[in-house]
Amino acid sequence: MMPFDLARLGEDRLFLVLSAAERLKQNNIGIIRTLTGQGYRVVVITTNQPSAVLRRLYTAEGIELSKVFFIDAITKYAMGRVPEGEVQCRFVNSPSNLTDLGIAITEVLNTLSGEKACLLFDSISTMLIYIPSTHISKFIHFITSKLRLVDASGIFLAVEKGLDPLLLTQLTTYVDGVIDMDSHAAAPPQKEGGQEGEGPRQSSPVL
Amino acid sequence: MEWDGAVREGLKGKYRVGILALLGGVCIGLEIGVHLFLRTAVGYTHIFYVLLVLSALWYYRRALLVAGGLVVATFATSLVVGDLSWATFLRAAMFLVVTWVVGVISEERDRAKAEVEAQKEAVEKKHFALVGYISEAALRLKNPLEVLRDNLVSIRSQLDNSPDIGELKIMLSVQVTHLEQVLENFRALNKEIVEEREEIPQAYREFLTR
Repeated sequence: MMPFDLARLGEDRLFLVLSAAERLKQNNIGIIRTLTGQGYRVVVITTNQPSAVLRRLYTAEGIELSKVFFIDAITKYAMGRVPEGEVQCRFVNSPSNLTDLGIAITEVLNTLSGEKACLLFDSISTMLIYIPSTHISKFIHFITSKLRLVDASGIFLAVEKGLDPLLLTQLTTYVDGVIDMDSHAAAPPQKEGGQEGEGPRQSSPVL
Repeated sequence: MEWDGAVREGLKGKYRVGILALLGGVCIGLEIGVHLFLRTAVGYTHIFYVLLVLSALWYYRRALLVAGGLVVATFATSLVVGDLSWATFLRAAMFLVVTWVVGVISEERDRAKAEVEAQKEAVEKKHFALVGYISEAALRLKNPLEVLRDNLVSIRSQLDNSPDIGELKIMLSVQVTHLEQVLENFRALNKEIVEEREEIPQAYREFLTR
């Protein structure tokens, strides 16, 4: 699994991460693993995979779950109920309910104030099923502003080549950099501690 | 851009008034100089038509006021000179008729031109709206379907191992929910296209929005 390069996460805080559709889940796990390994408390906003499934995946990958908090916007909408016994998780009625989602994000980020926190948004592409791109753009702008205010980091996952030029341009202006997780073949060779072509390409902020 | 256009129109209006005032001055000067002093009414009135045609082109039937002014000036000088005749009346009538005809034709031409422009603008607006909607729909159909396909592939691969049935049910429910919304988005796209394109037959309208 490809490690997520966090070299710039100190100076730059917000990233749009582009991934091939078939690698979205693997990249999610890779990012979480790297972030928790670096001591980050991660808030995962999920609209694609139910939190219960992600929790099982993270456990199977040996990720420390105590450092992961979920905001699950799909389980309640798809199942009509909330599974019992879910801890460190907030459920939102629907992925299109941006008000509740915004409130949940604000409240969770407030509880993490003073800690090394990072928000992982999985994913913009799935959100596009439920809300128009203009609303997505405004919502991501809201989240990025919130993250900057509370001095937290943020990673926004999206399927590569899946965002139209206008939306991509807008999102690019909200973040500090864009990372293409699957362009490692085109990436420059790493001089130390890595093989040629390994690791994602980072650009700021142009693709 | 709009401001630029307004300024340009304002300047154009001022230039037009200036040109007409100048031509008006020339016409009155000719009326006084040639008709009143040289005592001849031949030849110089052709210049009047430049003023009248330009007035009618720019101000349509309102140019009849200019024509009326020239008629009054012609009658006045004719009365002073004493050459008022059927030719004076004919000349005055020609001023009014030519001005009226040019004014009506200009007005109609500009109205038709404005109508064509408005129609063109409306069609372009609709076209851009349609392109925007199709682009948005592609964004909300193609990508999500790719994600769904990979989610389903992942579920299938879980079946090869010892699957947690409860978890698979949840996963499948999520995919069904995603698919329902994608279908709804697709219906919305069809509806939008049907409403946009009036040439689509009724039977196809019903089929597309079903």
